[in-house]
Amino acid sequence: MIPRHFQITVALVLLAILISGVIIIHMTHKEEALTLQAAEAVPVAPIVGGRQEHIQLLLAYDEDQALRWRSADVFLPVDRNLRARETLRSVLAQYLQMPSPHPLAKGTDIKDVYFISDDTMIVDTTAAFADGHPSGILLEELTLASLIETLTANVPGIAKVKFLVDGKERETLAGHADLMSFYQTAVVHELAKEFE
Amino acid sequence: MRWSRTGVGLAVVALCFALAVSGTAPEQQLTVYTSQTSYSLPALDRGGKSYVSVTDLLLPLGATKPILKGKEWKFALNKAEVRLTKGKEKATIGGKQVELGGKLLVENGRVMLPMVAVLPVLGRLLNTTVDYHQPARRLFVGNTFTRFTADFKNGEQPSLVLSFSQPVTVNEDHVEKRGILTHTDTTTLIFAKDPVVSDLKTQQYGDGAIQSLSFSEENGAALLTVTGNKQLQVVCSDDGNTITLQAQAPEVSAVPPPVRPSVPSTETQKRPLEFFVMIDPSHGGTDKGASFGGKLVEKDITLRLARELRKELEERGIAVRLLRESDVDLSLDRRAEITNEQRVGIYVALHAGRPGKGVRVYAPLLTDPQQPLAGRFLPWESAQSGAISRSQTVARAVSDELRKKGLTVTSLSMPLRPLNNIAAPAIAVELTPDEDDPQSLESQKRHNNVATAIALGIVQVRNQMEGRL
Repeated sequence: MIPRHFQITVALVLLAILISGVIIIHMTHKEEALTLQAAEAVPVAPIVGGRQEHIQLLLAYDEDQALRWRSADVFLPVDRNLRARETLRSVLAQYLQMPSPHPLAKGTDIKDVYFISDDTMIVDTTAAFADGHPSGILLEELTLASLIETLTANVPGIAKVKFLVDGKERETLAGHADLMSFYQTAVVHELAKEFE
Repeated sequence: MRWSRTGVGLAVVALCFALAVSGTAPEQQLTVYTSQTSYSLPALDRGGKSYVSVTDLLLPLGATKPILKGKEWKFALNKAEVRLTKGKEKATIGGKQVELGGKLLVENGRVMLPMVAVLPVLGRLLNTTVDYHQPARRLFVGNTFTRFTADFKNGEQPSLVLSFSQPVTVNEDHVEKRGILTHTDTTTLIFAKDPVVSDLKTQQYGDGAIQSLSFSEENGAALLTVTGNKQLQVVCSDDGNTITLQAQAPEVSAVPPPVRPSVPSTETQKRPLEFFVMIDPSHGGTDKGASFGGKLVEKDITLRLARELRKELEERGIAVRLLRESDVDLSLDRRAEITNEQRVGIYVALHAGRPGKGVRVYAPLLTDPQQPLAGRFLPWESAQSGAISRSQTVARAVSDELRKKGLTVTSLSMPLRPLNNIAAPAIAVELTPDEDDPQSLESQKRHNNVATAIALGIVQVRNQMEGRL
């Protein structure tokens, strides 16, 4: 006859093993999901066929409330639309890395860019760009100024830019900065100067 | 049997007495004004508290009829479900709890809501501003206001011309004449169905047939009272937009009229269009704005600061309106529409956000400046174009006053909504947390300092606009 206290001990050990197993499986799944999410958030690799160029990016630095020019080597296609998209993506890539001078939400990306006339461009962003953008007048304006100034510095001939979110118009980026209007690049240039 | 007959007799006497008393007292009522209609409903006394029927209040606004399911009364308005339980002091609206300020009553199948709960309940249910003039029990939904100017003309037959922004109704029932035998006659115009509002308390005109005009509100109505030493004739014209109060023609008499002290030298005293400041506590409802950790969110900070700013401006004699008084959703375009409709003097949007420290003052910046269209219309995206230099003047004045208070100030021009859609001087003021301490955004002293400085800046600009400097 097995003593009762021994039976209880064995039962408790078995129960502990079972609970540990469940916790480990749960943690493994969670880790896999996080890894997958992070992988999805990384911007798409440069298009093969473009040539590497040394370009200037105007980046936002939240701590200093400033915009600063930084250089980067980026693969840029010859096509004007693709060149504009990759230029914008190279700015977002800087914000999505850790640590970031101006953190943006995972999943922030440029879905598409297209010209509706020679000098007027529409930038279509992912929903995460606006949905996950930190709310605040300065933070939102720095994002837009950084993108528009970098764009005009590297893709000549753009006079007006408008942003869409997931293919649709939105009133503001995150409650403050105007997304309904077309931005004249000359006006944004003057605005950006205040932060440089 | 004998006792019960006595009891019944006493009850009948008591009932008769109660009916007699209630017959003499005016029925208390709440009046609701919306852009489509206005309606009044009785305010009933229950244990010293005023109650209104939920059905009477909300059915005209498009709510479904309350239905009893289990212990809860349920109905819906604007896709939000409302759940009420008899005897409870809280309601559930769209999944959130709202304090009612008293127990919910149900009488003969009618759900009765405490009067104090009317504003929080409607604030949650309606996607627009709700303004409640509590002592007078007047509820304005969606900035539905009728304003007026008064034009006094002196002469042999003094007259007072009241011009209203929308047609009003004053029929014989609404005109009361009192004090015929006293030294001073009083004419009172009672507006029960029109959302007449004014910041006017009393305007003096001298000591003749028309001596003063005063505005007051009581029991769900607005009252305009004109005093003088003669009975006045009331004439409505211009499809109800104008009411003229005129002294009767003087009777031919051998007795010379009594000598009166001189009246103001100007023949006509006209009240100019009232200058007022529209304060916009940004965000609200589901739009929380920036978050600062814990429960501290931008929409609450802006509302608190707005109330403080209203107090400071009113103390300096400047009329003020708030775009939202409670935690309600209000789109940016709607904020601009309301502001433009009311022809504001200055529009001030309040914000709170990171990074930085101190206060940031923003003037509008047009992203795509366009020439105004010919005629009366302005392009929506650049409605600010005609007022942008005055906006910059206001921003400068406010920044200067903030600096005088020792605050760190950053002045910027930014393309912000709805500033660019407003056809009047418009600025935005943003509080930032000191040393990255979010709690500093709740500091009463800081709110007071900032509100005082904004008010002083506005007073300065108002004086410049009116040529007082």
